Amino acid sequence: MPSLESISQIGLNHFLYLSSVLFVIGLLTVLMRKNLIVILMGIELMLNAVNLSFIAFSSYAGDVHGQVIVFFVMTVAAAEAGVGLAIAVAIFKKFKEVEISFFQKLKG
Amino acid sequence: MISAALFYGFSAFIIIFALAVLFAPNPIVSALSLAATMVGVAGLFFALGSHFIAAVQITVYAGAVMVLFVMVLMLFDLKKEDAVSAMYVRFLKISVAGVILGLISGAITLSGFASNTTIMSVDTASVTPTKKLAVLLFTKYLLAFEVLGILLLVIAIGVVSVSRIKGGTHAKS
Repeated sequence: MPSLESISQIGLNHFLYLSSVLFVIGLLTVLMRKNLIVILMGIELMLNAVNLSFIAFSSYAGDVHGQVIVFFVMTVAAAEAGVGLAIAVAIFKKFKEVEISFFQKLKG
Repeated sequence: MISAALFYGFSAFIIIFALAVLFAPNPIVSALSLAATMVGVAGLFFALGSHFIAAVQITVYAGAVMVLFVMVLMLFDLKKEDAVSAMYVRFLKISVAGVILGLISGAITLSGFASNTTIMSVDTASVTPTKKLAVLLFTKYLLAFEVLGILLLVIAIGVVSVSRIKGGTHAKS
């Protein structure tokens, strides 16, 4: 049972727990949903969770390098979302659906 | 030191909207909930003293990326509900996620961050100004920054060419 002080005093571990919960919600979104675009949203959620833990570590260690990494991660995530949505548009043009099960029918 | 009320308020906001992303049957609702989640995460970034990253989070994620998502969703006009997988498959997926959550939480608990939270508290005097971040970005990480610019150019061209693909080997029509 956590003590009252560990509840009222917000430390690094609180941010890490929040980050892990957010990461697992994103993972469940990727695993459970069938819509390709919602799966991309789950990936964005997972990236956000990791960014949160980066910023928490950087802030609690008093080091700016974590923020630089988060900046790069955000840029790459935006690029990844663009490519994912372009592939979704291409899939939609072929099959008129964006269900993930259509990827089983791709022949390379 | 971050006030407990601020942290728990933002945490509840983030987790509620993240669960809405997971459970909303309509993808548009999922997208708007994701935007709200990102605003909440930006609030926590602000509370942690990284103001520039919080602003970038709002403009790039909650602004540009989410507009892109919503626009593609509008383009598709999806009406069909998600198909549901078999019971044992769903059980397997949820238990995998639960095991991962347990492993991460256990690692955090055992790592000793819990015991010295008061020592490693945020010092408001050492909150890093944006200038420090900018200097670092344009000196030590200059090459990475430029490579990132080239990557974005390549991505922009690639996205346009991929989304212009027509037909293919086994198109329906």
